[in-house]
Amino acid sequence: MKAKVSTEWLSGCSGCHIAVVDLHEKLLNLVDSIEFVRIPVLMDERGYPKADIGLVEGAVRSDHDREAVLKMRESVDKLVAFGTCASYGGVSGLGWLYKDDAILSKVYGGLPTTTEADRPEGAPVLEHSVIPIDEVVEVDVHLPGCPPHPYYIAQAIKVLLGEKGAVMPAGTVCSQCNRKMEKRVGVTLKKGAVTAPEKDICFLSQGVICLGSVTLERCRAQCTNKGVACAGCTGPSIAVVTEPHLDIRNMVAKRMSLLTDIDETEIRDYIAKEAKTFYSYALSSPIIYKKPAVEIREWVGVK
Amino acid sequence: MMIKVFVDEEACVGCTLCVDECSTDVFEFDEEKNLPVVKREKECFGCFSCLEICPAEAISHEDAELSDNYYHDDYALDFAGKLTPGTPQQVDVKNESEQKKALGDLGIRLLSIAAVFRHTLGGSMPAVGTMAGRTLANQLPRYHEPESFQEVLEMAVNQFGPSWDLNFSTDGDQLTVTTKTCFIRELCSKENIELGGDLCVLFYNNLAGYLGKMGGIRLKLESMEPGNDQCVYRVKTFQRKKY
Repeated sequence: MKAKVSTEWLSGCSGCHIAVVDLHEKLLNLVDSIEFVRIPVLMDERGYPKADIGLVEGAVRSDHDREAVLKMRESVDKLVAFGTCASYGGVSGLGWLYKDDAILSKVYGGLPTTTEADRPEGAPVLEHSVIPIDEVVEVDVHLPGCPPHPYYIAQAIKVLLGEKGAVMPAGTVCSQCNRKMEKRVGVTLKKGAVTAPEKDICFLSQGVICLGSVTLERCRAQCTNKGVACAGCTGPSIAVVTEPHLDIRNMVAKRMSLLTDIDETEIRDYIAKEAKTFYSYALSSPIIYKKPAVEIREWVGVK
Repeated sequence: MMIKVFVDEEACVGCTLCVDECSTDVFEFDEEKNLPVVKREKECFGCFSCLEICPAEAISHEDAELSDNYYHDDYALDFAGKLTPGTPQQVDVKNESEQKKALGDLGIRLLSIAAVFRHTLGGSMPAVGTMAGRTLANQLPRYHEPESFQEVLEMAVNQFGPSWDLNFSTDGDQLTVTTKTCFIRELCSKENIELGGDLCVLFYNNLAGYLGKMGGIRLKLESMEPGNDQCVYRVKTFQRKKY
């Protein structure tokens, strides 16, 4: 019998749903073993039919999202936090830095095209912040990615269907990256750069900040192998998740200063200054903001 | 038992950082293969500095004992397990007896630290607790700054409630703090240590420092009633002068 899959879309951009469609011919192989009973981008199904696997995209931002995710939890056996927003809050997690009032008065009053009178009435009430879905419901599997890589979508469904030998590995992006990490002297920190001249040498060795070594590999290292430094879209690595004293900033700074002759403090200061960029994917998750070494509000000057 | 060290050759990126970091020179670097080789495995004492520095998380250990594992957060470990279903976890402290042992260990250390504080600082010991509480208030993560003292109390319950079963009740300027669970109380009754000692004083002052800093309020302890079921602290609060 085919396993039933139901999906839902909360505060997200629909990119994760597009990633499902991006499975291409693999989707056809998958459709042999699964059947979609609810998928907002492809089907017109308003209810929450019973299903074996539920994929939830996006974070909880309003009471509408909260109700939707609760209904999903009731209607499915196994719930997958699908994409970085669902697992960590994602890019919209930047809202964690500000109070709801500050955001609303900026949008409806601080911009040339809107006025306070444009504030919608009867819109869903905002939660106190951007909330990863596991603070609201029990999650069975986290599949981060912005969007999740088709290979791991298939892999996660295999794991949930109990296929033998299917695992979700624990390595970092470096474990799939083909670049060679080597020690260099005379390298300067290239602020703002996301790419580097030598295509076989690690970005850190060339003075470009790459988050590969602190990011969970759910992407087959596709960015770094094709020439762009890792932005950390799949969220922190297992070591950063489990060890309270390890953090994105201090681990990148430490490794980079050991590989090159750039001063560790210079890198730490730069990452802190640009924290909205380097922490953008996971900052609204307690995994990151509860770390003693993380002071994002102070770094970016928000009270 | 000897610790076994493994290097995942496919994952390794050849950065040589593990060779540099290891304080007992367990690894040697094979230039030809561009891989570290585990040469002196018996020298490994399980400090995990190689595991920490490895950018690819390519190093794993077997039979290494995690002694100080109480700092791990259950939520984070659970989260990591859900990120990697099917992969064995390096850190697993869900074992209840292990956790109890670790908590007992932590309790004894805290009691000794409190005794040392009292011995060296005498009457100014409570101030150390207060200072620690104020620092805590500055550093603890929170969604937003509280807007009333009632909200400060709610935040404290959210933050410390699960560990201490903390309850507050207010009556005018009187504040009553009750804690029900306390792993150190269990330890005290087992080891015949008198309740309401130095560590309890530090605990109260720490909480008072936290509440005072968060709420802009001064707290004065009027009575402390330690007990086997619950401890009650009766406190008088003063609104601090506005500057």
